[in-house]
Amino acid sequence: MTVHQEARVRRRARLRGSTAGRALAACMVGVVFSFPLAIMAVGSLRKPGLPPPGGLELLPDVLWSGNYETAAGLIPLGQQLLNSVLVVSTAVPVTVLVASWAGFAIAMARPAVRRLLIGIALVVLSMPASAMWVPRKVMLEQLGLTDHALVVALPAVMGTTPFYVLLFAFAYHRIPRSLYEVAAVEQASVFRIWRSVAFPLARPTMFAVAALAFAAYWGNFIDPLILLTTEDDWPLALGLRALSALEPTLHPLYMAAAVMATAPAALAFLAAQRALAPRRDLET
Amino acid sequence: MGIAIHGAHKAYRSRRKQPIAALTEVDLHVARGELMVVVGPSGSGKSTLLRATAGLEALDAGRIEIGGRDVTTAAPGDRDISLVFQDYALFPHLTVAENIAFGQRARGVPKTQITTDVAQAATMLGLTAALARYPRELSGGERQRVALARAMIRRPKAFLLDEPLASLDPDLRLRTRAEIRELQRRLGVSMLYVTHDQTEALALGDRIAVVRAGRIEQVGTPDELYSRPSTAFIARFIGTLPMNLLPPEALGRENGPVTGIRPERTHLAHAGHGHLTGRIAAVEPSGEETVLHVVCPDTTRILVRVPSSDGVPRPGSETGITWSNADEHHFASAEGPRTA
Amino acid sequence: MNEQHCQPTRPTPHRRWDRARTPSLRHRPTALALPWLAATALLVGIPLIGSAWLAFTDYYGFGAPSFTGLDNWHRLATDETFWHSLANSAKIAAIAIPLRTALAIGCALLLHRRSSMNSAARTAVFLPSIIPDAAWALLWLWLLNPLYGPLPLTLEAFGLPSPGWFTDPAAAQGGLALVASLQMGEGFLVALAARRLLPGSLHEAAAMEGAGRIFTFRRITLPLMAPILTLLALRDVVLLLHTTFIPALLITAGEPHSATLVAPLYVYRRAFLYGELGYASTLSITLLITAAAVAAAQLIVLHRTRLLELL
Repeated sequence: MTVHQEARVRRRARLRGSTAGRALAACMVGVVFSFPLAIMAVGSLRKPGLPPPGGLELLPDVLWSGNYETAAGLIPLGQQLLNSVLVVSTAVPVTVLVASWAGFAIAMARPAVRRLLIGIALVVLSMPASAMWVPRKVMLEQLGLTDHALVVALPAVMGTTPFYVLLFAFAYHRIPRSLYEVAAVEQASVFRIWRSVAFPLARPTMFAVAALAFAAYWGNFIDPLILLTTEDDWPLALGLRALSALEPTLHPLYMAAAVMATAPAALAFLAAQRALAPRRDLET
Repeated sequence: MGIAIHGAHKAYRSRRKQPIAALTEVDLHVARGELMVVVGPSGSGKSTLLRATAGLEALDAGRIEIGGRDVTTAAPGDRDISLVFQDYALFPHLTVAENIAFGQRARGVPKTQITTDVAQAATMLGLTAALARYPRELSGGERQRVALARAMIRRPKAFLLDEPLASLDPDLRLRTRAEIRELQRRLGVSMLYVTHDQTEALALGDRIAVVRAGRIEQVGTPDELYSRPSTAFIARFIGTLPMNLLPPEALGRENGPVTGIRPERTHLAHAGHGHLTGRIAAVEPSGEETVLHVVCPDTTRILVRVPSSDGVPRPGSETGITWSNADEHHFASAEGPRTA
Repeated sequence: MNEQHCQPTRPTPHRRWDRARTPSLRHRPTALALPWLAATALLVGIPLIGSAWLAFTDYYGFGAPSFTGLDNWHRLATDETFWHSLANSAKIAAIAIPLRTALAIGCALLLHRRSSMNSAARTAVFLPSIIPDAAWALLWLWLLNPLYGPLPLTLEAFGLPSPGWFTDPAAAQGGLALVASLQMGEGFLVALAARRLLPGSLHEAAAMEGAGRIFTFRRITLPLMAPILTLLALRDVVLLLHTTFIPALLITAGEPHSATLVAPLYVYRRAFLYGELGYASTLSITLLITAAAVAAAQLIVLHRTRLLELL
């Protein structure tokens, strides 16, 4: 064998070995991160009121599904679930639209304007959410907006966070300039260029932002806590809290409610994952 | 009047350094229905000129007219032009038909009209079978044809092409080149065609403009540029083989102009006879002709092209080189203007 | 030969960008940023100004705010609890941010190749972020429970010491950092995108030259991913103030010995338990300035290393 061939054989062997190692590591990572969800699911099947287990208990001896019914009776589950769905189905599309428009403007603007817009984004990005609690509550109370479940979706009109705007800006920036230029010569308006060229070609980013926004609004706890006073307005994320004060032996009830709060989101996310599998050639 | 550029100036300003002049005092007129090739080395400003004509970049000074209309401050979409890029710039997420129809849809043309127009453009460029396919399924040549179809569908006053053949394989290049020429003739449209390949320029252009360092060195027909280059730079740049440029010392003179002689105008002679004598360093056969690299004792290198039927001499052997004095060109310096 | 023209034009030196002469896209692209800018002005700008105003007042939610000058600020200077809470936030951030970033990058590098195993693992990594904040926090309340919690039980089963998660201040801070770190779906997605953007040819060339895994990571992968990662770290500093809030509220309630009293929790208590909206605004503004200062410091580093130019 020539030196070259030997090197190639050695490299292939190394890659194969490392591929097996990588697969194992990936498997372990997957297991570790699935652990919390698994615990939640398992915990929800434990019969409440039992004494603590002697040692590590992977699965309870008796699987009890009654927790779900009980939990559903303790909080206005249906109404709160509806609120969560309402908030998410409004906030996610609005976030995606506003953030992608702003991102497109940043990508297309001339250098001076682009720097200014990115600067604004970075400044807002560096503001902690806690700085907004008091003034927003005061402002919304003055405007009489604090008793609608949708109030929580309000940040969507500014794209929820400038981070998403920057993500879009980056994705649009990576599209070859010539595509934009041709569209301009073909007399497409700026909006049309966004709609027909930029947005379709940055689909992975769109799904990423949608997924992130979905997770953010579905799980959002603090904004409803501060802004909404009526239990019936609460999204599920907040309704869970009512069950959190239960003593440890009654935790399975809480777990059941947590599963009910997480399952719709998880399922929606998994479904979207399948739909979003990006096509290689369009990926930016 | 097709395209008229008057006194174009453009400089790039970087924050710390001196401004870089991209275009200086550029005047160019493209007649109606004429194919004008702008050729020059990389960085010469030819792309900048095209982009400024298209409206994608702003000029610092100067005027641009297209179809008799002043478009200097008009947006790219309002200049009545079409662009064809080196990377085809096809929308990957749209079918061929949708790509071609893009501009029509942007302008709000009714759907039935669009279908007719697209079919017509497709027929003209042989794309009817490919209308439902996506760009990624097409070959390079087909993609460029889609770009051409998209460009021609609304019959603009001018076509601007930026190195359209550079991404194609050599065999496709030849074919697509002919298709572009044919299309231009059929449509009778003014074309501003930018390339760095002088062979393309000579083959395609009704007239050629040679650009160097932001200035136009010469504008003329291919024949004019070949037989009467106005600078030594053009003499070396234009032509399958660069013109040999010999300083006066190489010909045994103390001073005088730089002498230019095309390799194809040289002949071999016996060693010691003719204008120069040298050793054959390399022999490059290419079919009907053979190119010889000859090195003279004073390290002057000269290219000679002879018909292969004359017999190919052995590398390493000594030979004389001769030519007719009428075939000589004279220049003030190695890059300078013509003196005779 | 150059053609003659009637009026020779001379170049005007260093002319500033002239709006009238510059062609542009039809309608200006910046118009699309208007919704974002307007909404930001309304939802961030105005509250910010309001907060700055309230910081100099006493306001309890009813009636009108009464201007008190620098009183709040004097109080702030001697408010040990607040500075203690800020220190807590810093300590937890010092653990959590490197942990989160390392996890995000590590998982992205491990799982970026296309395969079904990787696809499943990627979903698993992102799923904790889907779990609602309250559920996640209370899940950990269960997980770390000394009697029932699987984590202490597992540690004991392996004969490892289980720190008093809720009784030992250091362990509580560590636990909080852990809780905040495992929900790193956002960072993970971004690191994944950044890794995918790197051209494969670079790594192939390195492998061909016999470069080891660590060398490739240090000299090729990391530098190329640096701009996006720095942006992530910047975001994390600010985010962490938020993500530690809910676990601190629900799991530890700031205990033990106020070890997990993080700054946002203190602000929350002042604002919504004690109703001191004026003083809470003072605290908020201070937090804001601190966060902004840290972010600015990071940006200066970014700028110096010229990484921002990639944007």
